[in-house]
Amino acid sequence: MHRIEVDAEIDVLEANRRLAAENREFLKKHGITAINIMGATGSGKTLLIEKTADALGDKVRMGAILGDVVGKADYERVARHGVKAEMINTGKECHLDAHLIHHAIEKFNDVDLLLMENVGNLICPVDFDLGEDYRVVMVSVTEGDDVIEKHPEIFRLADVIIINKVALAEAVEANVDKMVEDARKLNAKAKIIKMDLKKDVGFDEWLEWLQEVMSKQNGR
Amino acid sequence: MSFAQAIVENVLKLAEEKGAKKVSKVLVEMGELLLINPEQLEFCFQVASSGTIAEGAVLELEFIKPHIECLLCGKRYDEPIAICECGGIIKVEGGKDMVIRKIEMEV
Ligand SMILES: [Zn+2]
Repeated sequence: MHRIEVDAEIDVLEANRRLAAENREFLKKHGITAINIMGATGSGKTLLIEKTADALGDKVRMGAILGDVVGKADYERVARHGVKAEMINTGKECHLDAHLIHHAIEKFNDVDLLLMENVGNLICPVDFDLGEDYRVVMVSVTEGDDVIEKHPEIFRLADVIIINKVALAEAVEANVDKMVEDARKLNAKAKIIKMDLKKDVGFDEWLEWLQEVMSKQNGR
Repeated sequence: MSFAQAIVENVLKLAEEKGAKKVSKVLVEMGELLLINPEQLEFCFQVASSGTIAEGAVLELEFIKPHIECLLCGKRYDEPIAICECGGIIKVEGGKDMVIRKIEMEV
């Protein structure tokens, strides 16, 4: 036996890119608008999906994939609203990836809108293309008004940036204008929505955006 | 864990092609912006490779710096920041790849 050194040039992340492309193909074929919703735990992602299900449930066929490290609390919350839902437990992983979605999307071939709730953090999900059409990042003012400048990458790549719980801004001494400004500096084209889901602030704006992108999708 | 698994799978595939009996070292180039904790990756690599011919192999990591530059004044940074001190928007390039460069094996 002797020892040899082999030069390799293997792109490890290539597999995720390939699977994401396959997911994208599947979604396109079935006319599904898929949205990757990212944000920290407690930012309001699950509530956004629940409220969207209530608002659109009888108008569009909606599905939801709920990603979480363990447990199925979010899945149960969403399934109660009468939409097709699927739980993905990632175990040790802190993000969803194209492979995990690959297995789940087959069940959603009959929906028009697929919301995918990513695992609750602002770092790891950034690098994993799931094959989604749009990326939404949700933060809440309770995370501090410097949360956007601390995580530039995820905001740079977002299509929609939601700043949630704005009604609490004063109580937690967060400057919403600063957050909007930070987001705008990082991302010139994202839609920025100031929201408070518990007080119905900004939710209509979200629904309008959803309907807008869905009609665009149907025309593709 | 999926990173470690992907590394092991790729390493084993190439080792098999070369008819290797054992893999002793793997050199991986990693973008700093992937924000992967090296100790965690090494641990996951050991777990993912156990029971294979890559069990016990050394995982060597080389970190690659991204290119970060202000679009307005051209100032360069070592770490990604939101906004340049001059108020300009920052452009970030690279630093997000993960490439297996070299595999040492016994044939
Ligand atoms: Zn500058």
